[in-house]
Amino acid sequence: MPVLIAVENPSQAEAPLNLGAQVATRGHEPLTLLTVIRHESERPAAAAMLARACEAVQDYAPDVRTQVRVGHPATEIVCEAEEGGYDLVIVGDGPRRNLMTRFLHGSTAVRVVEHAPCPVILAKGRIGPLQRVLLCDSGSRDPSVGLASNSHAPPAPGMGRRGRRYPSVLSRFTELSVDLLDGAGEIVVLHVMSQMSAGPGVPGKQLRSDTEGLVEERAPEGELLLRDIEALQRLGIRARPQVRHGLVVDEIMDEVHQGDYDLVVIGAYRGEGWQRILLDDLAHRIIVELDRPVLVVR
Amino acid sequence: MPEMLHNPDTTAPAPPPRPPIPLPAVESARPALLRHGWWERVRLGKIGLFVASLYLFMLAITLMKEGARAVAPWVQNLLEVSSAANALGFGWLFAYGIMSGSPVAAAALTFFDAGLVDKLGAFAMITGSRLGASFIVLFIGFLYVLRGRDRSTSLSMGLLSLTVTATSHLPGLFLGALLLHAGSLDAVQLRSGALLRSVVDRAVEPVAGVAVALLPDWGVFVLGLGVIWFSFNLFDKCLPQMTLKESQLGWMSRLVYRPWVMFLLGALITMVSMSVSLSLAILVPLSARGFVRRENVIPYIMGANITTFIDTLLAAVLLNNPAAFTIVLVEMFSIAVISIVILATCYRRYQRAMLDFVAWVTTRNRNLALFMAAIFMVPVALIVI
Repeated sequence: MPVLIAVENPSQAEAPLNLGAQVATRGHEPLTLLTVIRHESERPAAAAMLARACEAVQDYAPDVRTQVRVGHPATEIVCEAEEGGYDLVIVGDGPRRNLMTRFLHGSTAVRVVEHAPCPVILAKGRIGPLQRVLLCDSGSRDPSVGLASNSHAPPAPGMGRRGRRYPSVLSRFTELSVDLLDGAGEIVVLHVMSQMSAGPGVPGKQLRSDTEGLVEERAPEGELLLRDIEALQRLGIRARPQVRHGLVVDEIMDEVHQGDYDLVVIGAYRGEGWQRILLDDLAHRIIVELDRPVLVVR
Repeated sequence: MPEMLHNPDTTAPAPPPRPPIPLPAVESARPALLRHGWWERVRLGKIGLFVASLYLFMLAITLMKEGARAVAPWVQNLLEVSSAANALGFGWLFAYGIMSGSPVAAAALTFFDAGLVDKLGAFAMITGSRLGASFIVLFIGFLYVLRGRDRSTSLSMGLLSLTVTATSHLPGLFLGALLLHAGSLDAVQLRSGALLRSVVDRAVEPVAGVAVALLPDWGVFVLGLGVIWFSFNLFDKCLPQMTLKESQLGWMSRLVYRPWVMFLLGALITMVSMSVSLSLAILVPLSARGFVRRENVIPYIMGANITTFIDTLLAAVLLNNPAAFTIVLVEMFSIAVISIVILATCYRRYQRAMLDFVAWVTTRNRNLALFMAAIFMVPVALIVI
């Protein structure tokens, strides 16, 4: 699994390098360190920065390459990810630009997350050993649904709208990133129910049930969590289910802080066409608001 | 690997049968609307009901206008409605009493037309009518609670509707008062109002004349109030069954939309149905399947709160009173401005505050009792001050 680490700025490089080193150590993966410059005149400084970064990870990853590209950071990172056939991109939070620049162009990391062809880890905040992972599973296999819980009406297994096949967040995660965890790690599979009753005549027991209740009642959410837990346990990973009720983003944020997780895994959609106009981008809000590493799988 | 994860063991014994869980109804891929021509679905009976309800609405406005002066002593001396605060409380309690806001809003305009209340008084009474009308959804939920149903499930939507309405209408009251005082929207008038009025006069004057001849003036007003209440009920019946089935909406009903989208959807649906209660009722079958999400509901109510004044705007046109038209326009404009400001600046915090408040009210019986007492005591206090 080739991994691309985007090093945008020396002061922001520590977090992505630290995470990259962990990935490389566990999976014996080849690493590529990339930095993007605006002008050719910046190349010597960029090469020096990459050399220092290379030294920092060389003990963990023997196969390290460096790459310098010229252009807009987000565009070039995405291009490199596409051209190099990487399976994972790690980006730092990036320098804090002024408000106008962020409004017009958005954060580099966020744009990479939105457009990259593969999973992206946004390395931010404190980076420690990845012992506790929160995996947010909506139950949706349609990327347009993103993080929203909709398992009251699950599509046919593996099938999305119009018959197109979409893998679940869990399968995308296990397929690509389960190497991130060592034997001692624990994954908490979180499902947030933001549904509410719109009328007094609506039987709402399942809209309030806790994890055990949903499993006992064999509600769609309970079955989703059971299926996820069994799949993770078959891979030798310690896992437990968690259900929360409330606003999706708020509940994920609360769970992250209460559980003190080292990594948060979320699904995301590409937001094309009318979906970009109509749908709320919950993944965007989570990656902006969270203060720790986020793995966005697609 | 993904396939293995989701179909781990195809040789395993079949699981026991599942209890009934709401799942999408299986329907033909081709919507019913396309299988038959739209003209086959037109129901003449519904069109007849619509025409009848419109006629009764026009008749009611005429009757209330004719009789409004006769109820002046009651409103001014007995209920002592002399200030905007009094009018707010009066409109609020009046809507409780008849379990509807639109007739009260129409009454406020006829009171203004008859000179019983000033511009600000009519504006405040219309605001009160919306607060009272929001209580209806809550009241129905409260009856369910008394019958032993779960508090949270039964009351959440009613409480949200009431709190969202209160938090947008009360600041809107101040903004509206400023706009009315400044006369900023006075110039905006419907140019075809006089023509509409002349048509209405020809259509309803003969019937209204009979009522005026037979009944005392106060009786004409009460009859008008009854007719307008009946016309709204009739209008509800002539609307197509707006229970948006999940099978018709498919996966779209499960998504979290941008607040602006839900805001416009709430405004659009209520513009057609002319009733917030009816717009919220559309959500009930969807919520039965768990498709109504907290993220989507609040902006939907905010949008609905603006276009629910469409019928009051029509009443103002029928009264042929430009100032009455301005009052309703200011009401709609100020609520729209407050809602847009909330959506643009502090929506996430506002959303959390609303949901937290609803959760607090439904957590304990004591909290619910306090809230119910407050929503009765506040309008009473507004009348007596």
